[in-house]
Amino acid sequence: MAGKTVSYEELISGYEFPPVNYELSASFVSKYLKAVDSGGDGFVPPLAITACAIAAMTGSFSMPSGTIAIHASQELEFFKLVPIGVTIECHTRVAQKIARGKMSMLILEQEIFDKDKEKVQSARATIALPT
Amino acid sequence: MLTEIQEGKAFDSVVRHITQDKIKLYAEASGDFNPIHIDESFAAKTPLGGTIAHGMLNLAYVSEMMTSAFGRSWLSGGKLRAKFKEPARPGDTLTINGKIDCVEQKDDVSYANCSFECRNQKGEMIVTGETIVKFSSDKK
Repeated sequence: MAGKTVSYEELISGYEFPPVNYELSASFVSKYLKAVDSGGDGFVPPLAITACAIAAMTGSFSMPSGTIAIHASQELEFFKLVPIGVTIECHTRVAQKIARGKMSMLILEQEIFDKDKEKVQSARATIALPT
Repeated sequence: MLTEIQEGKAFDSVVRHITQDKIKLYAEASGDFNPIHIDESFAAKTPLGGTIAHGMLNLAYVSEMMTSAFGRSWLSGGKLRAKFKEPARPGDTLTINGKIDCVEQKDDVSYANCSFECRNQKGEMIVTGETIVKFSSDKK
């Protein structure tokens, strides 16, 4: 999980969060499949990997009290099958931080690698923060 | 899985009922404990007026539909672009539909360009988007 957290105000375009490692254990995958009502097929569902990456990102910064974060859009690309038990490394950077009136937008780019440093997934999330 | 990958082919729909318990389960599995999803009293005081499902929970259902249609081709070579239009709330029943819009071939690889939408029981659009799946040409 994430170590040091930064405040939302400290996030600037280009900021890179420290990489975070996750073990995609059988118990994690089982819990995830139960939560999404899915049967599974012996591999880690790609959206379970994305969920880890998003949790890593959201756990890495703190928002002003009372602020809500709303997921506005998401882009994903999957590059390879990921067997259960693999440890992944999530890299997240702030692509853009935009303030428009009473709305802030945070655009985050993520790249996820396996233990052989091969990319398994890339993602781009837009988070809206009404203030 | 689809036996034929051709333009206009619709995928089997996925229908899921959202409950606060399911949202809580997803929060525990994913580690995303944003209070807008799990803290009913906090969420009631926000402009959203109550808790909402994680956007990634809705997308998990989209991915399930794509996995049913394309299997490993989706898991190892899929691309997705989604816009969250409205929040899904506890009590909602979501229906996810999708189809192949066109099939393209570049070099020796084929690509299925697909569209999907997720609507609630009132017909309101919750998520909309596109996917691309790379697959071997012998499936066409």
